[in-house]
Amino acid sequence: MGMVLCWCLTLLTAVQASDFAPVVQGRPLVFRADTGAHPDYRTEWWYITGWLTDEDGAERGFQVTFFRVATGIGADNPSRFAPRQLILAHAAIADPATGHLLHAERAERGLEPLAGAAQDRTQAWIKDWGLILDDDRYRARIETEAFAFDLSLIAAGPPLLNGRAGFSQKTPDPNHASYYYSRPQLAVTGRMRLNTEEHQVTGRAWLDHEWSSQLLSEEAQGWDWIGINLHDGGSLMAFQMRHPDGSVLWSAGTLVAGGADPRYLTPAQVRFQPQRRWRSPRTGKLYPVTWELEIDGQAWQLLPLMDDQELDGRQSTGVLYWEGGVRLMAADREIGRGYLEMTGY
Amino acid sequence: MGALLWYVFLGSLWRRRLATSLSLLAIALGVALGLAVQLIHTAALDEFGRGLRLISGEADLQVVGSQSGFDDALYPLLAQRPEVAEASPILEMEARLPDRATTLRILGIDLFRAARLTPSLLPLGEGRSGEATPDQAAPTARGDVRLEALQPDALFLSPAAATQLALASGATLRVQVGTREVALRLAGAVPAAGVGQVLAVMDIAAAQQTFERIGRLSRIDLRLAPGVDAGRARRALSALLPPGVSLRTPADAQSEVQNLSRAYRVNLTMLAAIALMTGGFLVFSAQWLAVVRRRQEFALLRALGLDRAGLRRGLLAEGALLGLVGGLIGVALAHGLTALAFRLIGGDLGAGYFRGLAPQLQWEPGLMFGYLALGLGAGLAGAWLPAREAARLIPARGLRAGDEAEAYQAPPRWGLTLGLLGLAALSCLLPPLDGLPLGGYLAVALILVGAVLALPGLTPWAMRPLAGGRAILTRLARARLAAAPGQAVVAGAGVVASVALAVSMAIMVSSFRDSLDDWLTQMLPADLYLRAAAAGTSGYLEPEWVERVARLPGVTAVRPVRFENLRIGAGGEAIALIARHVTDRAGLPLVAGSTMPAPGPGTEPPAWISEAVADRLGLGVADPLPLPLGQAVQTFRVAGIWRDYARQQGAVVIELETFQRLTGDRRVNDLGLFLTAGTDPAGVMSAIRDLLGATMSEMILPGELRTMILGVFDRTFLVTYLMEAVAVMIGLFGISTSFAALATSRRKELGILRHLGLMRRQIGTLLATEAALTAAVGVVIGLVAGAAIAWILIEVINRQSFHWSMDMQWPLGVLLVFSLAMILLAALAARLSGRQAMRQDAVLAVREDW
Amino acid sequence: MLAIDNLSKRFDASREQALFERVSLRLAPGESVAIMGESGVGKSTFLNCIAGLEPVDGGRIQLRDRELTVLDEDAFARLRRRDYGFVFQAFHLLPHLTLAQNVALPLWLLEQDEASADGRARALLERVGLAHRADDWPRHLSGGEMQRVAIARALVHEPALVLCDEPTGNLDPARALGVLELLFEGIRTTGAIGILVTHSRLAAAYAHRILRLTPLGLIEEPGGA
Repeated sequence: MGMVLCWCLTLLTAVQASDFAPVVQGRPLVFRADTGAHPDYRTEWWYITGWLTDEDGAERGFQVTFFRVATGIGADNPSRFAPRQLILAHAAIADPATGHLLHAERAERGLEPLAGAAQDRTQAWIKDWGLILDDDRYRARIETEAFAFDLSLIAAGPPLLNGRAGFSQKTPDPNHASYYYSRPQLAVTGRMRLNTEEHQVTGRAWLDHEWSSQLLSEEAQGWDWIGINLHDGGSLMAFQMRHPDGSVLWSAGTLVAGGADPRYLTPAQVRFQPQRRWRSPRTGKLYPVTWELEIDGQAWQLLPLMDDQELDGRQSTGVLYWEGGVRLMAADREIGRGYLEMTGY
Repeated sequence: MGALLWYVFLGSLWRRRLATSLSLLAIALGVALGLAVQLIHTAALDEFGRGLRLISGEADLQVVGSQSGFDDALYPLLAQRPEVAEASPILEMEARLPDRATTLRILGIDLFRAARLTPSLLPLGEGRSGEATPDQAAPTARGDVRLEALQPDALFLSPAAATQLALASGATLRVQVGTREVALRLAGAVPAAGVGQVLAVMDIAAAQQTFERIGRLSRIDLRLAPGVDAGRARRALSALLPPGVSLRTPADAQSEVQNLSRAYRVNLTMLAAIALMTGGFLVFSAQWLAVVRRRQEFALLRALGLDRAGLRRGLLAEGALLGLVGGLIGVALAHGLTALAFRLIGGDLGAGYFRGLAPQLQWEPGLMFGYLALGLGAGLAGAWLPAREAARLIPARGLRAGDEAEAYQAPPRWGLTLGLLGLAALSCLLPPLDGLPLGGYLAVALILVGAVLALPGLTPWAMRPLAGGRAILTRLARARLAAAPGQAVVAGAGVVASVALAVSMAIMVSSFRDSLDDWLTQMLPADLYLRAAAAGTSGYLEPEWVERVARLPGVTAVRPVRFENLRIGAGGEAIALIARHVTDRAGLPLVAGSTMPAPGPGTEPPAWISEAVADRLGLGVADPLPLPLGQAVQTFRVAGIWRDYARQQGAVVIELETFQRLTGDRRVNDLGLFLTAGTDPAGVMSAIRDLLGATMSEMILPGELRTMILGVFDRTFLVTYLMEAVAVMIGLFGISTSFAALATSRRKELGILRHLGLMRRQIGTLLATEAALTAAVGVVIGLVAGAAIAWILIEVINRQSFHWSMDMQWPLGVLLVFSLAMILLAALAARLSGRQAMRQDAVLAVREDW
Repeated sequence: MLAIDNLSKRFDASREQALFERVSLRLAPGESVAIMGESGVGKSTFLNCIAGLEPVDGGRIQLRDRELTVLDEDAFARLRRRDYGFVFQAFHLLPHLTLAQNVALPLWLLEQDEASADGRARALLERVGLAHRADDWPRHLSGGEMQRVAIARALVHEPALVLCDEPTGNLDPARALGVLELLFEGIRTTGAIGILVTHSRLAAAYAHRILRLTPLGLIEEPGGA
């Protein structure tokens, strides 16, 4: 769900939320139009996470995100450089052979044709980095010196609306909410480069698209989020917001059991229980890297692809967090794979 | 040889303290001035280079255009090119600060782009970094400042700018845009800008909007994609550029300014070299006289077994010590002078080449040792001939009481003299080498040496007309000078050098000042000038304001002027463009062509180019001159060449209406106002202030402006004046010590004359007569040499260095007074020193050795 | 042993006319000779020739079997440093050196260290009776005192040869005697060869032998000590 960047950026502007379009319950999401950008809202992101397997069977996690931020600045400025919208992008690869994340990022003001986010359908780009939707096929392209990928991601079904028909509440106060849909079970094919090694890869991925104008609640210290592709063809999204003392402020989720209809999970149906913790040698932070989950009465376990999936963005986005591949286990049996994001530790 | 060296040779420097301190002073001064000029310029150029590196960062190439910039559509076009890895757009302006009467360089940057090309320009927001908030919730400063820095009124100051403006974050800075004032908020600092850079940074969109430059850029920094051939990329990208926009490397930019200031720098260095040469002459005179006086001493030492090489070494050691100590004093003095100059006049010695820099005094061991070596060299060179002369001494003869006249034998050297002067004439014909008038400098040096060498030949010749004189003293003096012309060389060399230098500077400066005065009169025909802002700054006048000023009571006519900067030619060289009325009113100091161009065959509009443009581009009257104006290249026809003392890089004048027709830009920078007869300019000035606001416009009366400009001129030449004054002073002191030493060394001869019945007073008169005759010969030769050098300074050195001509002026009165003063002072000095020599009993002086 | 054979010298201007010719002289260490003659006969020039200060036009000069006429100017200068002492009519003290420094001058030229040179110079000043004024300046001395300093300077480095050119010429007779006593006493005790050029019979009488220089050579005169 990638609130990471919006956390830091939204805190910073002195601009009032009322300058932007509000998130209200009952606005129906219309596709394909709503896969595009919503520049009237303050923040928006397209967030892809997933697992890839190369021709040798090696497994790696990957993540690529495009953010759009409305600054509230320069509305009256006829300059082509007027910084009304910023486009930011993140990409990372979790390779157990490396032992830590490979990471790259870009930031630009929206300035066509160099960087922007289209409104009619998913299309966000900064120079040669891009994410574009073509019918039901996404294409994600990242080029850096250390790594690169060019992936085709085909959706298995229609967008999966989270919350109440896409209205996703973040705290007990319904004013703190976003529009939020996911594309689970994306079938991935493409190529990946690590330094100079080229790989053909296949895998499963997950896309979140979320937009909002509200600042994050000041009561929230951080959150934990998962997006899991279940092996039975279903999917699980769940998150919890934590108070500074660690107690739960809000939690929610969406569960699609194989073949069944999506079920909205209320706070009472989602429980995260931290288990083993890992201390980052770089920052000294302590992250719970395995979790007990209680989803709608079922007890599951989260195990990480590797422990060190910490992302130190303090020099760029300003936030330090853990984001990486995880396996979902039901009593020693892997029932799904996906990504876990933890902030505020 | 330690004790001998110490007590006999080096000790002798202490015994003739006055002469020694003068030699030291001259060398110290030469070294100090030369080194200070170098130190100041090195520091300024270093700081300038640092500034360039700062603002061009890791760019491989820069796209630059005229001062009003170019269309920013070029930026996405270039940024998308495969050759380009990174592109960073920059809008730069010199913002006028109305309540401070100064300007501030503001760079509008895209900080997302600058982060990759020029990271040291990145702004830092105020106060939120490093605070002890829990870091989960603490957004870091940089994340913070991204949005803060995008605010339309946020301005970030470099540390040097914050110091200079005495402003802290949160304060408000008012800048002038056109005739409006805009308040900007100091949102933080540019901490990595370095201590010497006075500049400010803001968001490029905010800058375009604030300064009404929507759609314009001043520069695009480019980093080429890895593996791309730089030359090929440059050619491919150049093809995309509109006229008047060019590609250059950051190094080109540095050399552009370096070249501009280099001639000035070299000129000052040459003056310092001349001061050092004067020091060498003084060492020569002092050493020569010391050698003459110490003939017996050296003869004794030779008899006691000192070989010739030992004697030469001892005497050279004296010169070396003088040079070394003088050099050390000079080096210390130079650092003091440099520090003082930075505090008082800035890094450009008042010449205006480096604005917005606050250079720091730096430790330059290489330069320091270089100048120390020059000082040592001057000392050694001065001591060389006397040492050689002393080593030639025949001890058996020297031991006998002697007439030193033998030491003053100097055969005429007509061949050498004429050869040197011929070479000097040829050197003047040389074209500038790498933009420097080296031939001119060579000619000056050759003339100086030639003039000194002419002394022994000219002195007896000049004495010939006096042969018929009946007065015993005149005859004695004449006989002495004719028989011992070497004496004239020793005493006269200083006279010739000082007079030649002083005369040449006097002629050059007075010619320059007169020409400048004329030029100002022609350039400033109006009764009152209104200046929105100097060229390149953010102030200007809109056409409606011009009309409103024109309608004020008492104003008969207005003459608007627009300043621009263009880049022309293949090299993209910067020149100034001045758009004004030319053909309807005169007022251009033409040296060729006319203000009323004959209707030619084509329809090209006329342009009047300054001498610098004519020289640099090799253009003459009626040649075509393509200028990138507006969106296209317009060919102009050169109608005239004018003299411009203000813009060394070159300037082109075109008709204002041509400019407005081609660019559609009707804003102007300056306004000349013609008033009805009898109108008090003060009344008009206050009316304009009421109209435009008190702080928005500078007004100046041409008289005041002239006074101010001549004041600047005098300040610029202050360094020159100072150097020359000191050189002349030292020269004069040198002459008096020379004559004093001569008188002392001739004690015995004078004693005999006293024996023969000459009165003490008559001896004094004899010495004074000899000195006056020697000085007169020196002064006449110095005057001729000075006039020749002045001609070279004006017609060769200035012309080649700065590309400006001037009309030669002869300040005859000053020269006459100066020459007479020089002769009188020489006579007076000889007379006074003669009295000193006469104090000892004449009889004793004679008996001493007989 | 100084051996001079057939030494000849012509006038500078005309190479034809000889100043003196066929001058021969042999002197053993400790031996002194006075040379007298008419003014202009070339007494001083003869002395300068022996000192290598003027070139000779013929003949040989040998000091301790070493041929001197073949030496170049600088080699002769180095020889003078070591083996010659001089006493001049005009004293030729350096006015800006103290008496001790003046006496030490030959030792300085021989690059003796300053302290030992100073000690030696003071010892010599003691011998000429001026030890108490060692740090005084020459300008405070009478003519006789100046010449005594010059004698100390001529002997300080124990030369093989001491050349004296009218050493008493600027002195009144009373002072002259004292100076001559000191000079010949010094030459004797150092075992040097002394050559004295003088007009004064009184002075000449101090030497072992008296010779008269004529254009045709040296003629032995009676008298001598």
